[in-house]
Amino acid sequence: MGAEVITVSTDTKFVQLAWQREEKMLKDVKYPMGADPTGELSRMFGVYDEKTGLALRGTFIISPEGKLLNSEVNFYNMGRNIDELMRKFKANLHLATHTEEGCPSKWKEEGDKTLIPSPQMVGKVYEAYEGK
Amino acid sequence: MNEICCELGLQVGQGVPNFKLDTFEPTKGDFGEISLETLKADKKWTILFFYPAAFTFV
Repeated sequence: MGAEVITVSTDTKFVQLAWQREEKMLKDVKYPMGADPTGELSRMFGVYDEKTGLALRGTFIISPEGKLLNSEVNFYNMGRNIDELMRKFKANLHLATHTEEGCPSKWKEEGDKTLIPSPQMVGKVYEAYEGK
Repeated sequence: MNEICCELGLQVGQGVPNFKLDTFEPTKGDFGEISLETLKADKKWTILFFYPAAFTFV
């Protein structure tokens, strides 16, 4: 999908190897599994739980220039929606080359309506979005 | 659960300092290494997907 997806936990790479080999749900996983046993990277992104030594369910999108553009953190017991991650990633790609535009909440993929903020749009987002 | 679990990390808009990770590469069945420096040099977007522990759901 045009991005390097890296899954990261505070396990060692040996544990990750064992898990990937054992768990049938992971048989098709192609992403590199990053090992952060010291918690250094997890701390950098604010997802390291000092009490448990585990990383919360954080998702971060970093541009090719190295800028953090999206940040989402769920507590332990909630899984993530991959469709929303893909939506954010595609919106980033669009906005990287259309810097004057904005992708509203309903924007899903290339070709969907974007907004260009202007004085005329103030208080008239509905009309601009619906084309009325 | 009123206790704060984590120290504040990077905020959106900030530059991410270089980092390096040991990896297991399922496609190669081998260990590897990945760094933000290399990803930036390759002009790649990076998505970091943290999860609490192996042998749990994502």
